[in-house]
Amino acid sequence: MRGRPRNAIWAALAIVAGLLLTQSTWWDTNQTVFAQAVVSGLLIGGVYSLVAMGLSLVFGVLDIINFAHGALMTIAIYVSYLLFLNQGVDPYLSLFITIPLMFILGVGIQRFAINPVMDAPIHNQLLLTLGIAIIIENLALVFFTGTPRSIELSYARNEFDLGPITLDFPVKVFGAVVTLPKLIAFIMALLLAALLYLLIKRTQLGAAIRAAAQEPEGAELVGIDVRRIYTITFGIGAACVGAAGALVIPFLFVSPTAGATFNIIAFIVVVLGGMGSIPGALVGGLVIGLTQEMTQLFVSGSSKLLGVFVVFLAVLLFRPEGLFGRVQR
Amino acid sequence: MRKFTIYLALLLSLVMIAAACVSEAEETTTTTAAEPTETTQAETTTTTTAEDEPPEAAEPVKIGSIHPLTGGLAGAGNRMDNGAKMAVEEINAAGGITSLGGAPLELVSADSTGAAEVGQSEAERLIGDGVSAIIGTYQSAVTTNVAAISERDGVPLVIDVAVADSILDQGYANVFRIQPNATSMGANGAKFLNELAGDEIKTVAYLHDETGFGVSVADAFEAAAAEYGIEVLARIPYPPFEVTDLTTEMSQAAATSPDVIVITGYYNDGLLAARAATDLEVDVKAVVGVAQGAFHTPQFVADFGTDAELFYNSNYHFNASDPKVKAVLDKFESTYGEPMDTEAMLSYQAIYVIADALERAGSADPAEVRAALADTNITDHFMAYPGPITFDETGENVNAQPVLMQVVDGAVQQVYPLDLRETDPVFPGTPWGGS
Amino acid sequence: MSRLRRIAQASSRDLMILAAVVTVLGLIPLGVSRFTLSVATTALIFALAGIGWNVLSGFAGQFSFGHAAYFGLGAYTVAVTLTEFSISPWVGLIVGGVIAAAFGLLTGWISFRFGLKGAYFALATFALAEMLRLTFNNLDYVGAGIGITIPLAGGDDWGRIQFEDTPSLQYWVLLGIVAVSLVAVIAITKSRLGSTMLAVREDEDAASSLGINPLRAKMAAISISGFITALAGGYYTQFLLFIDPDLAFGPFVSVAILLRPIIGGVGTIWGPVLGAAILSVLGEVTRSLVREPPSFLQVIEGVNGLDQVLFGLILVLVIIRAPDGVLGWFRRRRQRSAV
Repeated sequence: MRGRPRNAIWAALAIVAGLLLTQSTWWDTNQTVFAQAVVSGLLIGGVYSLVAMGLSLVFGVLDIINFAHGALMTIAIYVSYLLFLNQGVDPYLSLFITIPLMFILGVGIQRFAINPVMDAPIHNQLLLTLGIAIIIENLALVFFTGTPRSIELSYARNEFDLGPITLDFPVKVFGAVVTLPKLIAFIMALLLAALLYLLIKRTQLGAAIRAAAQEPEGAELVGIDVRRIYTITFGIGAACVGAAGALVIPFLFVSPTAGATFNIIAFIVVVLGGMGSIPGALVGGLVIGLTQEMTQLFVSGSSKLLGVFVVFLAVLLFRPEGLFGRVQR
Repeated sequence: MRKFTIYLALLLSLVMIAAACVSEAEETTTTTAAEPTETTQAETTTTTTAEDEPPEAAEPVKIGSIHPLTGGLAGAGNRMDNGAKMAVEEINAAGGITSLGGAPLELVSADSTGAAEVGQSEAERLIGDGVSAIIGTYQSAVTTNVAAISERDGVPLVIDVAVADSILDQGYANVFRIQPNATSMGANGAKFLNELAGDEIKTVAYLHDETGFGVSVADAFEAAAAEYGIEVLARIPYPPFEVTDLTTEMSQAAATSPDVIVITGYYNDGLLAARAATDLEVDVKAVVGVAQGAFHTPQFVADFGTDAELFYNSNYHFNASDPKVKAVLDKFESTYGEPMDTEAMLSYQAIYVIADALERAGSADPAEVRAALADTNITDHFMAYPGPITFDETGENVNAQPVLMQVVDGAVQQVYPLDLRETDPVFPGTPWGGS
Repeated sequence: MSRLRRIAQASSRDLMILAAVVTVLGLIPLGVSRFTLSVATTALIFALAGIGWNVLSGFAGQFSFGHAAYFGLGAYTVAVTLTEFSISPWVGLIVGGVIAAAFGLLTGWISFRFGLKGAYFALATFALAEMLRLTFNNLDYVGAGIGITIPLAGGDDWGRIQFEDTPSLQYWVLLGIVAVSLVAVIAITKSRLGSTMLAVREDEDAASSLGINPLRAKMAAISISGFITALAGGYYTQFLLFIDPDLAFGPFVSVAILLRPIIGGVGTIWGPVLGAAILSVLGEVTRSLVREPPSFLQVIEGVNGLDQVLFGLILVLVIIRAPDGVLGWFRRRRQRSAV
């Protein structure tokens, strides 16, 4: 039944190409908008990738649907925000605090809350993480009230002299704007993806993580402490949103539910890219970002999220292992 | 095995009975536990008025307050509850309800959690608690539901914030609304733009949230705009609670080359829209919010800094040009540690509306309070309305309308209508200059 | 005929328990306040939705994370048939159930044919519910984002299932629907269909090697499940007198539906009802605790959000301590003490 993903991809491409052709007069008048949609889609897609990477790792290795992922990001957002507000710490410097902090927190959560239910059915794990999310979001509410806040970088619109070229932010690319905070988040997403990829593929820890993901029993036999690997993996997943939280602050808002905004999109990205695949999360994020903006542009009278869900369902049906996932089952 | 199932049945029944008992017990504890607070409240009032008033005359009058105190909307919900609290304390300090022998008010706060079914059961709890009236609830969905309950049980509901026209379309006799409805918000937004700039605004592009709020305000705006010869070139809806970027939407709006861009929505998405407009430096004469949740708030100005300059918003607002209102704002901020927004002022106002009705009714009976509410005519209110607070037969506040504001010199200032003007508007005007 | 009799015989014990449970639940409205009645009615509505969820996800083992789809279809059908066509909600409930069952059959057929299982099936159901929410949000015919308000009937009206004068009736009618649904569920568990569902849940490959058609069992489960959950949704509209896309299809509706059977015990007949009772009591207790704390906890008075924190903590503890629900916990304790 399945196993014809290539046909599906060709069909999708044909539809997109057809759309573009039929819209040719439109194209003349709307080049800038189109360019902006592509640029925005890629930039916001980078953020989606960033959030989805940690989730993908947790999903792929531990095989649990972690609904606390967005709430963990909220913690990082508040830590970074408070450091900025009280100590004047630049959000990008606060990365050095949020990443280790979130790693430790993630390790703690896995160790004391999730490890005990690793053998339970998926709905239990889902509910457990949901419970954790409720706790985190409402603690944020208790301590910081629900009033949304935001920060602006003082240097977001500065000119940067980079030797051969001078960048005057916001930079224009084919008439589309690229802002400094979003560009930084995008570059950091690529960088983190590369780092995570190397960690998984090239280190001993990575080998153990891969073993625990593919053959937990076998891994146990060769002397890998699978529980410990799970704990570390969840910590890494949390550290990823530690980074994401600090990186999104300059162009997002700060509120108890800010991180949860990404929950659903992140899951879609994970499935699209393939569970546990870091390159998959990266590409998946960009694809979803683009899909969303293209829906906004071409399909009027419906929410731009509808396009995202259509792509999601199509992936689930035709290529459930995702773009980069290995075939399972 | 058989024994086990019998145990199970027994257990199940026990849990059920316990369920019923616990919720019942709770209620009794709420009422008994509420008494000490009542007496302390009564004591505070009697310490101020002990000499001239016999304490036994003061049977407190309960007023329910339903707002989202937890969940995504908790920020606004808590400020609104605080606004109501402040009004109750002021009224009690001033001697309570005179026609009821100086009876103090007692605010019974309830948390809707932002969910309609919780709003419903909380409304039932308040009514069971014997409240004379209810205020609330910030969200149209929850309010629609609470309105049906209060209509059914005959306890008046004074809506402080909830915009949907449909709430009062049902012909309810017990429901009153202080704030302007969606139609008034949208239609007045178009009217103000027309009167402010005349022929300078011929076309607009409209960015709005795709939920009921944005759609109904935009509909009303578009209908009214057509009368003034203003054309809506494009309507661009977006999902308000899921968006993390509005740059594409903003560039779509800008691509239609409108005279102004109009935005309707909530706080977070408003912030994203403002950022997008600033980043794109959209080539328009102004960016105008209509019932926009961000552009007229102190925290928008505080957080968005100099970039917030010159943004317009046509929204409900307290009358900032009134010194009496300034005193209320200062008091709120010093008491609760954050600036008072219009929503909190509307809750504050709602308590005064009910207190006024209680005073005229001379009774805490909900039916009589309702009758008195229908005859409300409050001229010394706190809102930026062109006339007194008075309700028509559907319960709509006849004079409720928004006011056009602009961020000028780092502060939100009223610019239109003229009698409420604090400063002259800057039009055309966008912080990134241009036109 | 003899098959029916066999099922009835096998169910006699469960039917007796049902009679006892319904009697006890039926006594609740006597002498409680409208507030308690409102809480109890809400609990029963989500118990009913949970009973539906449990058929697909508990007995047939296909974990659904998007039952809001069926709930919302039921809710909207009742609202539209009443306000647009002046058709009694009784008919609306049935029509809504049929529409939801059809939706389940269609989407289920596609999902199962493509071999979606476990987390993938869960995410697909979630996506479907979200797509319905987004679609209804932009559909003018059903009031788009504004939703539909049900007019008050004024007084008791059996035809419109509104009981303003005797709210207990609204509860009892709902209890009747719950009882009928439970009878259906009991009959299913004792029938051949029930055992094929269980076989599919335990091991699909083994089941098909025994000559069971897993697809048919799953399709039966999803349509029955959708029907029952849609009944709950339809009743919800009648109870709230209002419906909008978030209340009908929102992600938190899906969570609310599956929470109760999981707390009570997945794949058990009584789990959804027990879970609903526990959650309602828990929710009200934590809420009132923060509202009116005992004297030694005075600091927490009125700290908003704390009740939710408490609720989350208890949820986490229950899942860790009783991973197969409260019923499972009792069963295990019994087994341990028997050894």
